[in-house]
Amino acid sequence: MAGSATAVGTISGGRHLPSARQSDRRFKWLLVAPAALLILAISIYPLLFSIWVLFVNYDFQIPGHAFVGLKNFSQVIFDPVARYSLWVTVVLSVINVTIEFILGLAIAMALAKTFRGRGVIISILIVPLFISPVIVGQVWVLMLHNPFGPTNYLLGQLLGYDVTIKWLTQFPWNFVALILADVWQWTPFMFVILLAGLTSIPPHVYEAAELDGVGPWLTFWNITLPYLAPMIFLAITFRLLDAVRLFDTIFIMTGGGPGTSTYSASFYLYTIGFTQFHLSRATAGAWIFMVLTLLVIIFLVRRLLKAETR
Amino acid sequence: MAEVRVTDLHKHFGAVHAVRGINLDIPDGEFTVLVGPSGCGKSTLLRTIAGLEEITEGEIAIGGDVVNDMRPRDRDVAMVFQDYALYPHMTARANIGFGLRARKMPQAEIDQRVGRAAAMLGINGLLDRYPRQLSGGQRQRVAIGRAIVRNPKVFLFDEPLSNLDAQLRDEMRGEIKRLHQEIDTTMIYVTHDQIEAMTLADRIVLMRDGVIEQQGAPLDLFERPVNRFVAGFLGSPKMNFIPAKLMREDGDRIILSDGISLALPRGRLSTNAAPTDVLLGLRPEHISRAGGEPMVAGTARVDATVDLLQPTGSRTFATFSLGGVPVIAELQAHDVSRVGEKIPLVLNLDRASIFAADSEKAL
Repeated sequence: MAGSATAVGTISGGRHLPSARQSDRRFKWLLVAPAALLILAISIYPLLFSIWVLFVNYDFQIPGHAFVGLKNFSQVIFDPVARYSLWVTVVLSVINVTIEFILGLAIAMALAKTFRGRGVIISILIVPLFISPVIVGQVWVLMLHNPFGPTNYLLGQLLGYDVTIKWLTQFPWNFVALILADVWQWTPFMFVILLAGLTSIPPHVYEAAELDGVGPWLTFWNITLPYLAPMIFLAITFRLLDAVRLFDTIFIMTGGGPGTSTYSASFYLYTIGFTQFHLSRATAGAWIFMVLTLLVIIFLVRRLLKAETR
Repeated sequence: MAEVRVTDLHKHFGAVHAVRGINLDIPDGEFTVLVGPSGCGKSTLLRTIAGLEEITEGEIAIGGDVVNDMRPRDRDVAMVFQDYALYPHMTARANIGFGLRARKMPQAEIDQRVGRAAAMLGINGLLDRYPRQLSGGQRQRVAIGRAIVRNPKVFLFDEPLSNLDAQLRDEMRGEIKRLHQEIDTTMIYVTHDQIEAMTLADRIVLMRDGVIEQQGAPLDLFERPVNRFVAGFLGSPKMNFIPAKLMREDGDRIILSDGISLALPRGRLSTNAAPTDVLLGLRPEHISRAGGEPMVAGTARVDATVDLLQPTGSRTFATFSLGGVPVIAELQAHDVSRVGEKIPLVLNLDRASIFAADSEKAL
């Protein structure tokens, strides 16, 4: 009975099918068209254009667009500042994300249990997330100003002698300053994601562990961390992807200086492209940077998916 | 192995008074079931014994030691949760042995104990699987194994079978009962299911609104409920409650609203100060179809028209109207054939309960 009903349905439905399906398809294309054109114009076209730029001279200081082969790449690869900026990016990203993760996890664990005033504390803690990085940079410039900022003054009061650290121009303090600003702004991001993860762990598992006589340290390693692993990967992946693009605070706080000592990869590319107008070199550098970033992303996303499916 | 004594226990959650002055004495090795409708405080009571909830007032002693201020891990109790609460990132073997590992027991002894518990529960072949690779019943066995290996003084079960399907529930119920017979340790078991309570318990503690309504052996509660709530909670289908008047001239008589007069067996009422307005409590199994047999003392005959039939196979539940309310009778499968049939019924008044209409207390 079911078989015959299906057959009838196919015959009666099949007669009008071709034309109906065609007009249906046309209508779908019509709906997709504006978005497709927009993507083509502002995303695909520039990408393809940039591939052309990689192999020609597109330098505002040198007229013409002559084919130059791989010269743009070699100029970036053999530029010590480029390699140094990449190194700075890697080191700063790893340090920033590590500190933010540890702090974020600690705060999340402290706030995982409900208590009076918890909502207010969480709200205050996530405020930095909503502030533009440029503003954050400016605030830290004022905070760390020598001799008029409060940081040196407070340190002086604490230590009992005059502190005259030149936070933004003196190694290693300039790096400390950049890390401070980044950690201040982005720890809440880690904290929020990890808190969500922590609160989703079923409380009965902790109760079972408590009754089993499992101590806090063993509980943390055997229950909290495994439960949290997917969230940790998620938070670290997102945060790392953002961290490698570090630009705003450097632009505001150190301007890449002194010299080129606080150049990040993004800041290097910006300088080459938009202050020196070596656009082909900047494009080549951007592609190299993108490929390197992509490798990290692929690794992290694979781990993330693996953690999710466990 | 220990007795559990709860004295005048109170628990507040903010403005909610969840447990109101509970006194409970559970002898060593007894299987006690805390039962009652949801929100009656049974789980809260269990969790205070475990130490997972702080108590507001009163005293809890396990094996003679007051444990009020003792951490859960130091009370030497094990608990099985409704959602199993297994550690998802560990195999069944690691789950069962984790508590022993945490207490720094030598690995060889852990292996031995885990093996013994697994054999007892029939999960030897599953020990290297992760909880996500196990069915609900298997997970619950692992959770029970985790409790067994510790040889605790007291086992606590918090609705352990509620997440299982009906068939598995019956099976696991039997296993838990068998387990208790084997290891003979004090067990306290929380459920809202009266059948679980009846089948498992040495003693049922029936709770409502944070107080104990009645406690005792399952059949005691079933046959001699102290009030309408207890009578209605135990038994399925529920006891029928028929509003009636009690007349106390020339022997006690019950007069139903439709004029039917039933003579109560002599000495059925335990008190002389009975009110006029009462509820006649009759369990469905105490109503049967009258045959040709002579009337037995303590029974009464009525004729009734069947309004609704619910055959279950071995038995048929027939609903009819008596004293102005619908009454369910549990009849033999072929006692009645169709709705609308008028059949003679025998009411076993010897087994009936009589409650005061206002206080709902048994008379």
